[in-house]
Amino acid sequence: MSVLQANCPSCAGTVEFKSGSTIVVICPFCRSVVARTDRALEDLGKVAEIAQTESPLKIGLRGKYLNNGFELTGRAQYKHEAGGVWDEWYATFSNGWVGWLAEAQGRFYMTFYQPQPGVQIPNYSDLQVGAPVPLNLGSTAFVVAEKGMATAAAAEGEIPYQLVPNETNYFADLSGAGGAFGTIDYGTNPPFVFVGKQVSLQEIGLGDARPAERAAKTVSAARLNCPNCGGRLELRAPDAAERVTCPNCDSLLDVNKGSLRFLHSLKNLSSATPPYLLEIGKTGQFAGRDPMQIIGAVTRSVNIEGTKYFWQEYLLYNPKIGFRWLVQSDNHWTFVEPVAAGDVVDSGLVGRGATAQYNGEGAAKGKSFKLFQHAIGIVEHVRGEFYWRIETGEKTQMSDFVNAPFMLSKEVSFGKSGSEVNWSLGTYVPLKDVEKTFGVEALPQPWNVAPNQPFQHKDLYKYGFALLGLLILVSIVLLPFTSGGGKVKEQNFNLPPMANAQAAQIAFSEPFELKGNRNVEITASAPLSNSWMDVDVDLVNEQNSEVESVPINVEFYSGTDSDGAWSEGSTSNSAILSSVPAGKYTLRVEGSWGNWQQPQPVNVVVKQNAFRGVNFCCAFLLLAILPTLALLWNWTFESRRWSESMFAPVSSDSSDDDD
Amino acid sequence: MFKKLYLAFGLGVILIYAVSTLFGWEFFNSGSRSTLRSPFIWFGGGYRGGK
Repeated sequence: MSVLQANCPSCAGTVEFKSGSTIVVICPFCRSVVARTDRALEDLGKVAEIAQTESPLKIGLRGKYLNNGFELTGRAQYKHEAGGVWDEWYATFSNGWVGWLAEAQGRFYMTFYQPQPGVQIPNYSDLQVGAPVPLNLGSTAFVVAEKGMATAAAAEGEIPYQLVPNETNYFADLSGAGGAFGTIDYGTNPPFVFVGKQVSLQEIGLGDARPAERAAKTVSAARLNCPNCGGRLELRAPDAAERVTCPNCDSLLDVNKGSLRFLHSLKNLSSATPPYLLEIGKTGQFAGRDPMQIIGAVTRSVNIEGTKYFWQEYLLYNPKIGFRWLVQSDNHWTFVEPVAAGDVVDSGLVGRGATAQYNGEGAAKGKSFKLFQHAIGIVEHVRGEFYWRIETGEKTQMSDFVNAPFMLSKEVSFGKSGSEVNWSLGTYVPLKDVEKTFGVEALPQPWNVAPNQPFQHKDLYKYGFALLGLLILVSIVLLPFTSGGGKVKEQNFNLPPMANAQAAQIAFSEPFELKGNRNVEITASAPLSNSWMDVDVDLVNEQNSEVESVPINVEFYSGTDSDGAWSEGSTSNSAILSSVPAGKYTLRVEGSWGNWQQPQPVNVVVKQNAFRGVNFCCAFLLLAILPTLALLWNWTFESRRWSESMFAPVSSDSSDDDD
Repeated sequence: MFKKLYLAFGLGVILIYAVSTLFGWEFFNSGSRSTLRSPFIWFGGGYRGGK
């Protein structure tokens, strides 16, 4: 790499152009923007000093992206019109590539200039947040995530374009699936398009570049005095805070590079507004997540058919990962983290049946969400500090899509010159987890069913159906033991006429063998016509004279009436016995019948291993009770959930786990 | 805990079903060895009651 050294036209200090693609370099002595032209160096004016952030990056760091080494040689700092700054690091690659490593709220995006030959780049005013962008960007589809205005506030090192101090330009941020990211820079004509993806520092070889320095850059609270009441207040994220409230006089203060400006006093929370339940400054760590500190809290409301509904959002902060939210609504809690707009496929519809699909990473990947609510959210009250210029009365268009325990939320905010769509993914947090995480006790119990509250007892019917499946499997395996119905004995008895209607006739069979551990089926058949016969069969064990008695009733009636021919009963009937000890048995048949004056033939058949489903049905019913109740419970739970929705499904198809 | 109890109950039911199948036990029958002492179940007409 050849280095061009020159003197700053403003202060004569030495400036170096290390990269051939560098257009301007910031004089390290006087902060002049020194531009390289065909003939000489030109002073474009001075830039402000870089606002110190908690960035782990610095000029001179070397990394690797797609196996190509790069060095961070410049940094431009832009100011967002809604407050806050972000950094764009100029990455000079060893193979000649020129990349931009954008850094905002703890996330990093590596992008490269993407020429658009023959493509008409849409005008800034024609872009709509959330809508797709008609650009030639390969196979990745992008949607507009944000439209806004950026001001070049500060810079250092080398910059590969003509950076003009305090110049303001329109831009549009694009988001695509899988972390794809793009920007349209309307500061040039035609606009420049930059495309890339979200990266982690580990991914670009900077994860362990300066661990000692980065560890030292943990958040340091700044202590300040309120310009309204003079009371002490603390900034927990001094590099990011744009607004803070005074805990002493409840004023809303503007934060500008560490100095505070009084804006106005906040109204007290009305009696209808739920009180804040968690203290600002508390630190906690949910299982599997990074520790986070509560630095702000905001009460918001929606007005639905004249009734205001309130909820509260706690802003959580960790300098290494940025900001998250803990939302409390009806005393239900949800942990919320931002997701890229490009990872969400939004049907764009608003109404019953509208859906959105999340294609990002994590447990919610690939899940489809149903629209639950679509309303304008209004900021009612704030407490603590915020990374944007929050105001009471601030309005946001919100859409909540649910698939318990997740909630996918879309917030569209409108600024003076642009608009922004923010998607976030919430995960339901049980009350006890919140209490444990933040060391609080006796938080109010939730009421009703939250939009993303999971049904806690799905295991009951999952286990229940698994047990039913196991029962069916066992019954199939045992089928050879329960079927076959082998005939053991058949004998015809011709009973003589009875002496009177009460004097039954008795007959005995020849002896026969029964095997153990097999049920016994005894069937009695008699040629009856409009008559009955009671057959009491005794199974007599010849070894020990033990008797098993089986009453079998046979009756058969038939005839003709005005409706035609009819019949009732049967000429045969059976009884089943549990297994009896193996051995030799005799049947004692005692019969009585309606036409007692006539002889009565009866045929008796003894079988073993008769197929019967009664035991199976009993077991099945026993096992089915709990899962059936759990299913009904789940159905009721879902009905209660959707009764609170603006878009309750018409049908009963309310299950949320249809992924 | 409740889920474990339910699983134990369910597995117990299946075990009893399997054992009764293997040993030829009938829980509903008309004999004096009727396990549940339950009335006679008539194949043709369903639950008929005793004689």
